[in-house]
Amino acid sequence: MNLEFGRLALVLLFAIIPVVGIALGINSPGLRARIPLLVAFFAGAIPIISLYVPKKFLSGPTGMSPRLDQWLIIVYAFAILLGVVNVLQNSTRKIARRESGWPFSIVLLVGLFATGGAGIYGAVSRHGITSLPDGTATPFKWIQDQFFQPLQSTIFALLAFFMASAAFRAFRARNTEATILLFAGGLVMAGRVPLLEFLAAPFPPLQPAAAGASQALGKLTEWIMDTPNGAAQSGIIIGAALGASSMAIRVILGIERGYLGLGRGE
Amino acid sequence: MANVLDKLLSLDRRWIFLLVLLCVGTPIVLPIGLPVATTGSTRAAFDYIEALKPGDYVWISFDYGPSSAPENDPMAEAILRQCFAKKIRVIVCAFYPLGGLGLATNSLAKVTAQFPNVRYGEDYVNLGYKDGAAAAMRRLGENIAEAFPADVNGTSLTQIPIMKGVRSIRQVQLVVSVATGVIGEYWITQVHSQIGTPIIIGPTAVAAPKYYAYLNAGQLVGMLGGMKGAAEYEKLLSARYPDMARFYQTTRGFTATKGMDGQTVIHAVIILFILIGNIAYMSRRAAQKKGA
Repeated sequence: MNLEFGRLALVLLFAIIPVVGIALGINSPGLRARIPLLVAFFAGAIPIISLYVPKKFLSGPTGMSPRLDQWLIIVYAFAILLGVVNVLQNSTRKIARRESGWPFSIVLLVGLFATGGAGIYGAVSRHGITSLPDGTATPFKWIQDQFFQPLQSTIFALLAFFMASAAFRAFRARNTEATILLFAGGLVMAGRVPLLEFLAAPFPPLQPAAAGASQALGKLTEWIMDTPNGAAQSGIIIGAALGASSMAIRVILGIERGYLGLGRGE
Repeated sequence: MANVLDKLLSLDRRWIFLLVLLCVGTPIVLPIGLPVATTGSTRAAFDYIEALKPGDYVWISFDYGPSSAPENDPMAEAILRQCFAKKIRVIVCAFYPLGGLGLATNSLAKVTAQFPNVRYGEDYVNLGYKDGAAAAMRRLGENIAEAFPADVNGTSLTQIPIMKGVRSIRQVQLVVSVATGVIGEYWITQVHSQIGTPIIIGPTAVAAPKYYAYLNAGQLVGMLGGMKGAAEYEKLLSARYPDMARFYQTTRGFTATKGMDGQTVIHAVIILFILIGNIAYMSRRAAQKKGA
């Protein structure tokens, strides 16, 4: 009985009310704004209430909150579709207008259709997107192994070159804060790797001293990461969580309405 | 002297790029074999898995992509090797959209080739990729099949022997998230905080600092921070299992221990660059003050 109440409530709140709202909102701009606020209020409030009200229709295995979680997974999948549509719109416009770099948009679209097509083929043929029963790669996995992975790795590997160049040109002790950052950064960089052993490698008599100093430097590095860094990170995480909570409350209560994308007077 | 420093500062950046290439590439081709000291967080992670019993479940989530694979792959593979050596059952999934599943499949193929007795569906399973990481994790607490109704090959979970003993993540003894971004935090907030399952994180070195807060709060049982953490894990694994020691000494493939040689050399070069840059900056500033 409880389960049915939960289902009925979800259908009412997230199907009937929005549909009625869209229908009535055609002639009433004010109503068009209020119905999404109502949907957002219930979508945000139900999971919170379910944490504190142990009722089966709310938090039970098939209650309203778990069902909203399942819906969320589906909504996430639709977000990918939205991304695909966005890429298609932007790229086709760029190609049609021959804007700067338009040949790259062709490459992007070919990549999108080839990879997406290989994925859909894997689903339709029931071969999946990893390996075939005989161990060979499916078309999707082949594209991933031969194109996607090397390209991603290459782009990220370029970072090492720019970091070294930036360290040379931009990492300066311009003021007290920058000097502290520079000193701590240098210590952590030296302490996270066996730097002293490496530097002492050509001088065997220095190696035992280098090993001892490296151990001490390693401990100092761990202290920096554990204590000042750990404390600062805790503060940042707590601050960000409080900020996110306050923003969530503003959205649930309808104070924050930017996400609706409404025009003036709506 | 000031002239030399000025010349150094105006050095064409392509010389710097060439130096970086040589410093990273040479130790990978010709390994130096520098020693790696272990840290408490890595030892805690290793000891926790070591204390698990044969038949226990470990959930390994591949939450990274090819961009950080040199750091994350060795962690995931070392943990897989430890689990298979201890006959721990492994459930694998991926929540990272940009190639997490492909890396999981490749790592599993590489590691299971070393363990001929390990059988798919009985000793390990690959549940594939799922979008909406945080929402999917919340469902794992009630029923794994609600988030992952089938494995990566489309086989229903009800037909996979390993999944018969585990309905929800509450029955899993440990979750390991090898992560590059925020997904590792989701495991802590959605699974550990709400369900209580112990978590080990294997983040990239860039992401590691934020996880110290969770480690200090007791919300993680251990952490493998970047390539250093992976190299420490390989060292611990080699010390405990002679077969692994032989493997890590003889393999021609990439390991974190080999990567640490390159990382050490490039750290030395970057520290040198910072020193030269700052000496030049300070001498120029002193000269300007004198001139004024």
